[in-house]
Amino acid sequence: MESPTPRYFGREKSRTRSDKAFSGSVVVAALSSLFILVAILFYLATSSWPALQKEGFSFITGSTWIGGLDDPSQQVFQIWPMLYGSFLNALLAIIFAVPVSVLLAIFIVFIAPKKIARALTIIVDILAAIPSGIIGIWGFLVFTPVAEGWARLIHQYLGSIPIFVNNQDQFTRSPFITAWVLGIMIVPIITVVAREVLAQTPQDLLDAARGLGGSLWGIVRMVALPHARGGIVGGVMLGLGRALGETVAIYFVLNLIFERVNYYRILDPEGGSVASMIIAKFGEATPEEIQALLGAGLVLFILTLIVNLIANWIVARSARERLV
Amino acid sequence: MTILQEIPSEETFKEPQYPWKKANPSTSLTNSIIVVLPISVFALSFFLTDFPGALLFIVIFLPVQILVAIFATIWGISKKRVGDAVLSVLSLVAFSLVIALMGSVLFSVFSRGLPAISLSFISQNNTYISPTTELDYGGVGHALLGTLMVVAIGMIISVPLGIASAIYITDMKGRLSGFVRFMVQAMSGVPSIVAGLFILAAFILTDVSGFSALTGGLAYSILMLPTVARTAEEVLKLVPKDLRDAAIALGSSRARVIMKIVLPTARTGILTAVILGVARVIGETAPLLLTTSNTNGTNLNPFVDAVSTIPVYIFQFLGSGYPTAINRSWGAAFVLLTTVAILFAIARIVERSTKKG
Repeated sequence: MESPTPRYFGREKSRTRSDKAFSGSVVVAALSSLFILVAILFYLATSSWPALQKEGFSFITGSTWIGGLDDPSQQVFQIWPMLYGSFLNALLAIIFAVPVSVLLAIFIVFIAPKKIARALTIIVDILAAIPSGIIGIWGFLVFTPVAEGWARLIHQYLGSIPIFVNNQDQFTRSPFITAWVLGIMIVPIITVVAREVLAQTPQDLLDAARGLGGSLWGIVRMVALPHARGGIVGGVMLGLGRALGETVAIYFVLNLIFERVNYYRILDPEGGSVASMIIAKFGEATPEEIQALLGAGLVLFILTLIVNLIANWIVARSARERLV
Repeated sequence: MTILQEIPSEETFKEPQYPWKKANPSTSLTNSIIVVLPISVFALSFFLTDFPGALLFIVIFLPVQILVAIFATIWGISKKRVGDAVLSVLSLVAFSLVIALMGSVLFSVFSRGLPAISLSFISQNNTYISPTTELDYGGVGHALLGTLMVVAIGMIISVPLGIASAIYITDMKGRLSGFVRFMVQAMSGVPSIVAGLFILAAFILTDVSGFSALTGGLAYSILMLPTVARTAEEVLKLVPKDLRDAAIALGSSRARVIMKIVLPTARTGILTAVILGVARVIGETAPLLLTTSNTNGTNLNPFVDAVSTIPVYIFQFLGSGYPTAINRSWGAAFVLLTTVAILFAIARIVERSTKKG
């Protein structure tokens, strides 16, 4: 005897078809990130190609920027001072932000009473949500006069150390002040990641350490920090990516110098930033100059992409290690 | 200081402590010395010398505070706890530094922005206004509308894409889900200026479109997409598996399970994802300088002509340097911060109301 064919067979089939259409559209939408990343790379590369081709490798290594001329053959576009400046700012910002963020995360997870810890978590979230434009206006009008005083003091007492030399008697718009403003932006980023990984320290390990009579400092140094190291390094890299890409706030607090590189005098009113340069030059740029600015954007994009991928790889790897 | 109390130190074994008893006079003496001595030394040096407070704080207050904490620990508790004392002092300094900096940002926006706020400042636009015009005339009305328009366009584009990415990663678990998550993470690192440059190169330099709210919205959507996708992924993970299994067992197709069960269950979380995405971009200036340009009048057509937005308004008046212009940018900063605060308040209220229900 033949088994009866289920009546809903046809409907089942059409369902599968609509299911397939749905799945297909979800897949296409999910791959949009890939499309966008490839499109960014493609459009920035093709539209900046004439400038990059003309300058060659000296686009990155040279320190001359001559734009705004009628004769395109006399224009020179080289971004080394800006590129170096971006890294100097980010490095200084991280030197300031990492101790503060890690201490703050330790305070939230291990020291503060629960109520204060919860409030602090919210405060860090609020800090992360303050728009960068507002940090920029605050850094320019409120923070710069204060930090100028600090810079004068450092110069007065430690001026014999090469990095604190300043012969211009102007202490505003320096990499030092920029680093503070950037630091304020990346402290919440690093703190959030550090707090999460510190809070995931296995309770067994903590209990065991306490049972052996370990002090708080001992627990933090021997158990929590080694456990959270990968996550914290990843968070720092995320902060680095953010600091490299910050634009408008740096534009207001830093004096961009295109012709020479300020390698280490962090109190001098001279610095660079690829992202801010794009804003500073865009308004009066010639078509050739815009191509060069797009090239600078391409360099910045590739750099931040690499930093960000390394960061995510470190965070993911340390998360896997924690599971094991 | 929970851990400090939980761990029995050498002294507590010798002599049990009774919290209900009157405090040991030597302990309260120690505590008061820890608090009073550094402050008084700091205050004395502040009033007796003419060094600035910041210098004295670093050179006098901090070392004295750390030394006092170390000696008090050795005397009052145990030598082994010296590291704890230093750690506590330093982390309290980090805590106060962050609170002070954030307080300074918020206080300056409120104290300098609030005087500029009036009905006309919020409702009028910038036509016939120069940087020296008094604050009675002109305002951010056109920029507020422009910001809302650009953000709305960014939302319309990025929210479906972001939610689809999250669905793909959590619900469909296709072969590419690890790859999609990787791409979303890579995208979250795109600097805002690069998003602006991309739209500039792809749409404006190729004459597909002029400066408009649409191009600004496209640039915003690139920045919003990763935030929306990552938050939505976290939220969709929380939808109980039982619900999905039950729906599939009743014969629902996968599309029905997602559209009728998973997304409605997670709707408040998805709203949070959208709000976080908006908060991520609403203050971004750099991409808009390259894609929407700026204008003084109100432009409600999202497809044609430049449009003004609040971040660009702040940028424009801050750059001009006149005192009244700077007051205008503080006022605009206040409007921007209030908008962000309202968004977060909505997210919190929604979150709380669903927890009750």
